[in-house]
Amino acid sequence: MPTIPVAGSEEFANAPVSPEETRRIVGDAVRLHDVDQAAVDAVDPLTYEVIRHRLTSITEEMGEALKRMSGSVVVTDCNDFDAAIMDETGDVVQVGLYNTELAASLDMAANWTLRNRCRRPGIAPGDMFLCNDPWVGGGLHQNDVSLLAPLFIDGELFCWTGAVAHQVDLGGVSPGSWSVGATDVFWESLPTPPVKMVENGAIRDDIEDLYLRRSRVPKLVALDLRAKLGANNVAHERLRALCEKYGAVTVKAVMRRTMRDAETRLRVKLRDLPDGSWTSVAHQDSARAGDRGIYKIVLTLTKAGDRLTFDFTGTDPQVDGLINCTLTGLRGGIMPVVLTMLCGDIPWAPGGIWRCIDVISEPGTINNCTFPAGIGKASVASGWATTNVATECLAGLLDAHPEHRKRLMSVCCGTWDFALLAGVDQRGGGFVTMLCDSMAGGLGARSDSDGVDTGGLACIPMGRVADVEMNEFAFPMLYLWRREEADSGGPGRFRGGVGASSCFIPYDSPLGGVHLVVSAPGKALPLAAGISGGLPAGTQYDVLLRGASIRSAFAEGRIPASLDEIGGDRELVAAHHETDLGPDDVYYTHWQGGGGYGDPLLRAPGAVAADVLAHKVSVRGAEEVYGVTFDVRGRLDEEATDRRRAALRRRRAGLATEEVPS
Amino acid sequence: MTLHIDDNLEQRPDGTVVCRHCGTAIGIAADPLRDARVRESEPEEAGPSVRAESRHFTDRQVILRQSICPQCLTLLQAEIVPGDELSFRTRSLAVRS
Repeated sequence: MPTIPVAGSEEFANAPVSPEETRRIVGDAVRLHDVDQAAVDAVDPLTYEVIRHRLTSITEEMGEALKRMSGSVVVTDCNDFDAAIMDETGDVVQVGLYNTELAASLDMAANWTLRNRCRRPGIAPGDMFLCNDPWVGGGLHQNDVSLLAPLFIDGELFCWTGAVAHQVDLGGVSPGSWSVGATDVFWESLPTPPVKMVENGAIRDDIEDLYLRRSRVPKLVALDLRAKLGANNVAHERLRALCEKYGAVTVKAVMRRTMRDAETRLRVKLRDLPDGSWTSVAHQDSARAGDRGIYKIVLTLTKAGDRLTFDFTGTDPQVDGLINCTLTGLRGGIMPVVLTMLCGDIPWAPGGIWRCIDVISEPGTINNCTFPAGIGKASVASGWATTNVATECLAGLLDAHPEHRKRLMSVCCGTWDFALLAGVDQRGGGFVTMLCDSMAGGLGARSDSDGVDTGGLACIPMGRVADVEMNEFAFPMLYLWRREEADSGGPGRFRGGVGASSCFIPYDSPLGGVHLVVSAPGKALPLAAGISGGLPAGTQYDVLLRGASIRSAFAEGRIPASLDEIGGDRELVAAHHETDLGPDDVYYTHWQGGGGYGDPLLRAPGAVAADVLAHKVSVRGAEEVYGVTFDVRGRLDEEATDRRRAALRRRRAGLATEEVPS
Repeated sequence: MTLHIDDNLEQRPDGTVVCRHCGTAIGIAADPLRDARVRESEPEEAGPSVRAESRHFTDRQVILRQSICPQCLTLLQAEIVPGDELSFRTRSLAVRS
């Protein structure tokens, strides 16, 4: 069925609005706190640094509060959330270090709320607004639910705080709201534009019921709502104390200067880098279950003077599926990479950093889609692919500078390996959870070192992987293994970090089995590109083994350690798939590593030999890709390696003979 | 002044792009890999990291495309992409004499 335009949806097609325009729209509906330039200039350096670091620590405290109150393993053990402090019109002064992709568009959500809710129903002390509408902002897909809290000081809206976390289920056709058969948003969780969830400090029962009624795990989602409320309360308590100690004018002046510093220092860095343009492409295979297409995001990054322009011209039109993302997803794809690659020594104040960046993108494309395109997987589909293409272009920019090139990194784990389990747990209660094992993705190679093996994800600086035992305790599953996989890091002079695999069975559910939803592209082609002659990381690889004799193996005291030892009938799993896992079924999922840097045949042979010893690279990989040869005792044979590398150079160039002319 | 482009390429003041390993001219500022040797092959040639054949998942042909210095045969760029797409990967540094 063709996607039908929805009249009125344009009201929610949000885009950044300047502070000046925001003030004009709000008028006298809400008194907005402000300071003039003289106040900003008057802050002494010591006070500035003390307050600035206090703001940073408040976002960390927000994260701690959120984790301690949540009951979701996705939050408590995997850090799939974030928090931010914004000024009175929504510009982000400080973003937390957790999942920066999630927080990248809290500014748009706060700003939209201010402009559109300031008169009806009004914004008052003690209010908080819930939002999970990615066209408005606040998250990349509907599972990213943000809670936005205005802080009033002396009757004026002083600033906003926001907490956002991935909720494991908010309805839709498939468990986890990951409707792999979706052709548009109506298959998915209902997007909710900003709604006053908390009024005068208390949760509104009617609105909460409206929110929770859609979920398969409402009590868990209700707890997460309170966790976000608590995170905002902690922040407000700390910010009030800060204002009492230093004065609201001084604290706001520090907020302004923090953003100005971030902008100024980024401009200085950009001026130091060469002007030029870098174009790259990020692919995704499959838009929904049964689809065999491949879709692309094209980015041309232009650096001129002290500005960056991200131009996505050439990107494919939005598709019938769940992989599209809105403008918030596009911004969420850009900002995390800018923060990690360009701003390691600059305050993480996106409100200032965005002032150095222009974005060109056509609405109606897969990373700037219009309503009602399917976006259930936006965060880890087109949002993630935007991160990949931004990473590659920014790495190219940095590579052209003798000093800054040390900060580049190839594309990290090319996509999220999504596996969702649902059913009845070992305690007899309903459960839904997203397995977050692929938080241990391989990081991309750098210009002077290998990528970190199972080091994490570029967009989630503080992402974590839950202990195997925690997953087994919380959910009806039993692991056969979780381990790093040889050859999964992109080969190169410097190797991409390796990814890993998990293999598990349903275990101890009164139903015998569990429901499984898979959404993991990168199977037709690898998604973590290499740079500067480095090869891409490995492909995603998921296998279902039906009717395995796993329980008899256990009875014999054996724990199978390979797919061959498991036995059963193998099914190669497509990028999008939904099925049941029976008591004798085994699921194996293998996620991706990071891209390589430089020609693999230039990698030090000793480093390859060490990789083989450490099971990062197989003997086959060492010989076929790196041209490294071992003698019969398994020792590095340097002379044979030289000969093999010379032959491989000719073979890959397609020369008629592999023999090197004398 | 000579500009470092990446691990393998540098740009001379006149805009000529050369291989950093052997000095061979590879292209110009606007098209740094213009004269590189390009070879397209099966993705599996990238090694054991390609776990399964692409035909299981897509009907489009997927290829490994490698751009190579014609003289010293250093790998300058590698990508695994749909074979019916031209390469989008390029860069262009401003010429600074």
